[in-house]
Amino acid sequence: MTEAAEATDAQIVKMIVFTVGEQEYCIPILSVREIRGFEKTTALPFAPHYVCGAINLRGIILTVIDLAVYLNIQPQANNPRRVVVIVESKNGIVYGLLVDRVIDMADVNIDTIQSVPEEGSSLSGLVTIGNRMIGVLRLETVVSQLVEGMASA
Amino acid sequence: MSGDMDDILQVFFQECEEQLLELERGLSALSDGDSGHETINAVFRAVHSIKGGAASFGLENLVRFAHVFESSLDGLRSGRIVPTHDIIKIFLKAMDVLSDLVAEARGGPSVDAGRIAESRSELEAVIGKDKEETGAATEDAAPQDFVPVPVSFEPVPVDFGFDDAFAAPAAEPLVVTFRPQAAMYERGDDARNILIGLADAAKAVPDGEIAVTCDTSDLPPFDELVPDRPYLSWRVVLPAEVSDESANAVFDWVSDVCEFTLSRGNDPQPQDDEAVTAGEDGAELKKTPEDGSPAPVPQVEIAAPPAVVASPPAPVPTAAPANNGNARSVRRPEQASIRVDLHRIDDLMDLVGELVIAQAAIESLCRRNDSTAQREMAESITSMKALTRDIQDAVMAVRAQPVRSVFQRMQRVVREASSMTHKDIVLTLEGEDTEVDRTLVEKLTDPLTHMLRNAVDHGIESAEDRLAAGKPAEGHILLSAGHRSGRILITIKDDGGGINRERVLAIAVKRGIVAPDAVLTDDEINNLIFAPGFSTAATVSDLSGRGVGMDVVKQAILGLGGRVTIHSVEGEGTTFCLSLPLTLAVLDGMLIVAGESTMVIPISSVVETMMINPADIYSLPDGSRMVSIRGNCMPLIPLGFKLGLSTSDKPSADAVILIVENESGARVALVVDKICDQAQVVIKSIEKNYRQIPGVSAATILGDGSVSLILDVPALIASAIRNIDTRSQNTRSGLAA
Repeated sequence: MTEAAEATDAQIVKMIVFTVGEQEYCIPILSVREIRGFEKTTALPFAPHYVCGAINLRGIILTVIDLAVYLNIQPQANNPRRVVVIVESKNGIVYGLLVDRVIDMADVNIDTIQSVPEEGSSLSGLVTIGNRMIGVLRLETVVSQLVEGMASA
Repeated sequence: MSGDMDDILQVFFQECEEQLLELERGLSALSDGDSGHETINAVFRAVHSIKGGAASFGLENLVRFAHVFESSLDGLRSGRIVPTHDIIKIFLKAMDVLSDLVAEARGGPSVDAGRIAESRSELEAVIGKDKEETGAATEDAAPQDFVPVPVSFEPVPVDFGFDDAFAAPAAEPLVVTFRPQAAMYERGDDARNILIGLADAAKAVPDGEIAVTCDTSDLPPFDELVPDRPYLSWRVVLPAEVSDESANAVFDWVSDVCEFTLSRGNDPQPQDDEAVTAGEDGAELKKTPEDGSPAPVPQVEIAAPPAVVASPPAPVPTAAPANNGNARSVRRPEQASIRVDLHRIDDLMDLVGELVIAQAAIESLCRRNDSTAQREMAESITSMKALTRDIQDAVMAVRAQPVRSVFQRMQRVVREASSMTHKDIVLTLEGEDTEVDRTLVEKLTDPLTHMLRNAVDHGIESAEDRLAAGKPAEGHILLSAGHRSGRILITIKDDGGGINRERVLAIAVKRGIVAPDAVLTDDEINNLIFAPGFSTAATVSDLSGRGVGMDVVKQAILGLGGRVTIHSVEGEGTTFCLSLPLTLAVLDGMLIVAGESTMVIPISSVVETMMINPADIYSLPDGSRMVSIRGNCMPLIPLGFKLGLSTSDKPSADAVILIVENESGARVALVVDKICDQAQVVIKSIEKNYRQIPGVSAATILGDGSVSLILDVPALIASAIRNIDTRSQNTRSGLAA
């Protein structure tokens, strides 16, 4: 989906901006399927620590990733505004990202994304809008870790 | 129009599939020594129908090959050829080519021309003495030369030219003409009913087809046309075998309001000429009295064929005009469809009717507000529950399909594989009528193909070796299916050499699958053939030996929720048993709580449940525990701890033990916090959006909308029982190179 957007409009991608802890992150809006409130999840055995558990989205079972844990950020435990952003990957895998707050939408020029030397490569880079720094989440990494992460165990 | 044609083409392909099955069945019967007239006719009819249908769609390749095939089968039918073993082999091969050609016409891969030519020359050799005739036929067997005689290919309204229809009947056909009077339409009857009646009468005799001509000569110009007056008459030619009485019977109810004549003979028909004239005028009149209007208001439509031949159960007597040109260019992707016994749909309908009543009952109870209402409501809901279950069963029955379609395909797999390996092998099928869910039937094809090829290539020895071992030169493979306690059991049994365990072990060691000093049981060695990268074949053949295969088979079967077990006796053969769930959709489960999560255990694997008794528990040095159940010791698994959902592995005092069992009868005791309920749950995949979780097979959604995990009991058992599976895993991971 993001690729399609990039192909037709090489420069500008619409992003949805949310906060996790103190920082802001964004993902392409076209990969977002819906946003829903956080509800009780079912714990999954042997799941990575950042997986909250599974939820039922109208008959589909999907896992919710606690982005705060995933990104090594102090989570805001009792934040009532926490929402799950349901994301669908290019190969059809649906999963949820638990974020603290969805705040904004922004047009991001791909060329202005500055890469970061981050080891886990969970970010494709940083963009600055005004004086805000926003991390661009690399969804491909997230989903591949989610799906393949633990075949050996 | 092309859309209609497309639909018809789809039906044709479905029919082809059925005809091919019929052909396969017939040829198997022939090879079993049943050379009865009926069998040979059935075989002939199948090829003939495919040819006829293909001709009307202009599928040239298919027609040409089918024609040669048919000619040689005709030799069989007329008794010139005796169905020996070799000849049947040739026919079987031709059948494979034919089915590939059908697939090609359907948009599949194109068939190797060499194969076609080879099979064709074999077929021609079969007819030997009719060579000149066949030679001529193959030279110019282009569809335009081939006379499409009316075929018994039923649901497709094939519209052959009128003249062609007269090519078939030999004796004097029965000619029926009738002209409905206005009174007939006034009482709601219809010329269509008569035509259908005549078609049914014709169907009673072999190859019964009717040829229908509509006489439009009395039709006034459009502006003079009176809508409620009848103008049309029909002339119907029935096969000679149809008796006058049966034709007369059709007119029993309309004889007072319809003029009709019966005669024998094939005299020239003036109507035909006039019809042709009408056609040339560019306006052909379609008979459409079935549209409900009292009179045969002719619909004017431009169409090519001047006369129409309706095949008996065509949806309307007005067969669709031929549109061969378009038929081949447009090809729609294959539509999945199933054929279902009518009574199953009827059962379902009855149940849905009951459901509606039950719902109404609950509604009325809701409105009432007295003391008994609540109790009655509970009763109603209970009965509704039973009803839902029945409906579910009925739907499952609709989806159920006999495994025959897959099994029949295996005949070909074995045939091809055995000719490639130059072995003489007979595949015997048993229990083809066993019904399983449709999705399962489809997914079985690949694993079974693999396993059968494997059985042919590795299982059955060469003829010399067999004779040396005192066995008949011909190898036997048995493929059987049956139901066993809520699962389907498929066995593949060969009478070959069995698994050579020494060799298997040596190869496994060489390939680094097993450590050189590992001590394995026979069972474990047998299971090595499922290890990835394992192959015993000395040389890589076309069939197998590349080391992919059996592990893929095992993965596929596991993916379907099944298990594979091997039983092998050296020198006597190998038996593979596949045990599969009947359905992939619903499961009877026991709802339990462990580690604060509600989970589902398939009820089929639960043997018994009991309260925990601390006195029966014995701790082992490695921290695991055993429990004695009436003197039988088995591992005790604290489920929540095992799945990493609770930190303490010490069972609480009020915990419950579930004794679960796997396919081979191994038992362990699972400790859970409590048992909540027993329910049918809908199986939902976790892997679709996540990954495989050890010990969990799938998930389901509970009544409150939350997700609950379905436990993979055999996997849990396997991880707990050391002397069966865990040890080989340890040896592998610990000692492997």
